[in-house]
Amino acid sequence: MKKSLLLSAAIAVASTAATAETLRIPHELGYGGSESIDPISPQRFYEAIQNVYSRLVRQGDDGRPSADLALSWEATPDAKEWTFKLRPGVTFHNGNEFTAEDVAFSLMRTQSETIDSPTKGVMEIIDHVEVVDPLTAKVVLKQTHADFPLLVMDYRIKMLDAETCGGDLDALCESGVGTGPFQLTGYDPLGTTTLDRFDNYYGGAAGVEKMELIAIADQDARVAALQAGQIDFIYALSAEQVPLFKNNPNFTVQSVPTGRWVGLVMNTTLEPFNDPRVRKAIRMTADRDALGKLVYGKDGFITSCDHPVWSGDQYRAEIECPRDIEGAKALLAEAGYPNGLTVELFVSDISEGAVKMAEVLQNQAKDAGITIELVQAPSDGYWGDVWMKEAFFATGWSQRPADQILNEAYRSTAAWNETAWNSADFDAGLDAARGELDFDKRKALYGNLQKELWENGGSFIPVHLNTVRAFSSKLGGIQPVEDFSIRYEDVTKSGSGS
Amino acid sequence: MLKLLKTIVSRPSGAIGLGLTVFHILMALCAPWIAPFDPTAQNADAILIAPSAQHWMGTDTLGRDVFSRVLHGGRLAIAVTFSAAVLATLWGGFAGIFFGTVGGRVDEYSMRIVDAFLSMPWLLFLLLIISIGGAGPVTIIPTLGFFYGVAVLRVIRGAAMQVAARDFVTAAKARGEALWPILSREMFPNLSDILLVEGAMRWSWMLLAFSSLSFLGFGATPPTPDWGLMVAQERGLLSTAPWGVFWPCVALSSLIIGINLLADAVGKALGLDRATAIAV
Repeated sequence: MKKSLLLSAAIAVASTAATAETLRIPHELGYGGSESIDPISPQRFYEAIQNVYSRLVRQGDDGRPSADLALSWEATPDAKEWTFKLRPGVTFHNGNEFTAEDVAFSLMRTQSETIDSPTKGVMEIIDHVEVVDPLTAKVVLKQTHADFPLLVMDYRIKMLDAETCGGDLDALCESGVGTGPFQLTGYDPLGTTTLDRFDNYYGGAAGVEKMELIAIADQDARVAALQAGQIDFIYALSAEQVPLFKNNPNFTVQSVPTGRWVGLVMNTTLEPFNDPRVRKAIRMTADRDALGKLVYGKDGFITSCDHPVWSGDQYRAEIECPRDIEGAKALLAEAGYPNGLTVELFVSDISEGAVKMAEVLQNQAKDAGITIELVQAPSDGYWGDVWMKEAFFATGWSQRPADQILNEAYRSTAAWNETAWNSADFDAGLDAARGELDFDKRKALYGNLQKELWENGGSFIPVHLNTVRAFSSKLGGIQPVEDFSIRYEDVTKSGSGS
Repeated sequence: MLKLLKTIVSRPSGAIGLGLTVFHILMALCAPWIAPFDPTAQNADAILIAPSAQHWMGTDTLGRDVFSRVLHGGRLAIAVTFSAAVLATLWGGFAGIFFGTVGGRVDEYSMRIVDAFLSMPWLLFLLLIISIGGAGPVTIIPTLGFFYGVAVLRVIRGAAMQVAARDFVTAAKARGEALWPILSREMFPNLSDILLVEGAMRWSWMLLAFSSLSFLGFGATPPTPDWGLMVAQERGLLSTAPWGVFWPCVALSSLIIGINLLADAVGKALGLDRATAIAV
């Protein structure tokens, strides 16, 4: 009896020690410190909102929507009305109960003109949300969408407390009160933001007691911080950085194929990129396989043809886009540039490989008489000062389902329509695809949109990336999933000291 | 001139300095003909190859030959900083001689302005001006020339005050000679040696400044082979592929050391004490 008591006490102490750790992850400072804790803000503080709030549905292990705050959902036969059954007994960090009212508030505010959220273009499909009862919400769409749960699986469509946010659909909600596994205890986007474990989290207590989100703008500095033990985790390792951790027993390296991409963007309304022949000529100069090998290593990518739908997506269209220098020259000559063209490209160390990608394209494009002059911009503040401000610039996107990324980046009204792509036919095509209930026909429609982007679009998306992350061997529970799907509440940290 | 050269190389430090400086200038001039590879040619099958018989200094993250890039790496830096050093020496030297000669309130007030410029964090101002005017020789040469010229002015003005107090200058003033003849005939010949050494010293510092700018993304732009830019691009690989950083650093530091030793030897050969910057 005595022995078992002692054993129980030892286990209890060990268990307390194991969970009393602090998980420290870097925050990329992409908005130069003006990050917002509101998940739908254009300057959302990703690392914080991922842990403070929860979604209605989340990505399951198979990539399909799985239960989170909604336990189940069903649609009417025309897929215009979606009913979500909510998880009972869920409370926000301030003790308020999570109900269908909060669902209605959180979904409808995404359409606010005032907030102008990047999610607006995608979520405008919602006509209204009916509160059937406290645990049932019916989402009525303006048009059929056969894959609507994929839209609310977005990492920014989080559920907020309507009461704490004052019920104002047009105001940013900076309360930081959610139903997520961690609650906000200190907010300092320029320094260290602190989160404490939320003991009433419906999914069970998180594996670590605290999280620290430490602002480190530069990837090399993040690598150095991980090596020095100042942080526990980094993502987006470059091919050259992998050997720093790969054979070191103190670290674990994970490589996961994803829909993430780093690309170059031509604003389709600004000269010379307002001519589709110029845009296509630049894209045709790329040897995508060589580019991928040079920038991401031979196992770090899957080539793409300038559309954002990745190889693991059910709607991906397989398009051939071989390098064609003569074709590019002919297009340039047609466009009025028979002697070549000089353009400025703004790049920064914003996403892994962005600068190298620009350098490789610069080298490849010169064979067609295209001179690309690189302008290096500081990485901190890049998204506010350069992105969508210049005519030709670098970008980076995380994985999204086909419908979402096509609507979010190419619908004419989308806030993050970075190529300024304005095509009524394309918008109609997006609507038609959403409204098509037959899978094969829907796939064909999404395929046509991808082909249109290859022919005329403003994006240069040569490859989709494997995401490579490294973390301390003290960490456990990090699943090999894309970055936005990591469940930090499942992460454990062993060893002494925090 | 030959005598001066002989005096310089008679000291080991002078010979090393002259040798390093001339070597780097020759390498920069002849790089297009002696580099084994195109310094911008990328090769997906030759990424981060360690130094070997084919690639003496290895290859970088884009499969480019580091030796060829190091050879070319000094061309832009030397051209830009030499031009800026000439500019700094000319305007700083002239202004220094002028203020040191005229003295009085004009000198007093001007030196306060010089003090203000000297107290500024010059790198931040360089970055500010370049971020407004754009990176490139057209902006960088006058910017470096101006900021380093301020320091030249301060040194030369101090030396000029000592020369201006000498009898032959007093005699010239007593003869009623105008300011310009005094500056050109009496002052400049007695300060040209100091100016030469000062200009050489500023050149070496400018090389470091230009490389720092390139490192920060404000100097040379990709794919230009430049030592500072090469270090910036390969710095994340110090523990796995150090050659991409090591060789540009060796090249840059050896040129700076060479210019410093040469300037020191020239000063000594001309009978100057660099600590006081006056003829001894």
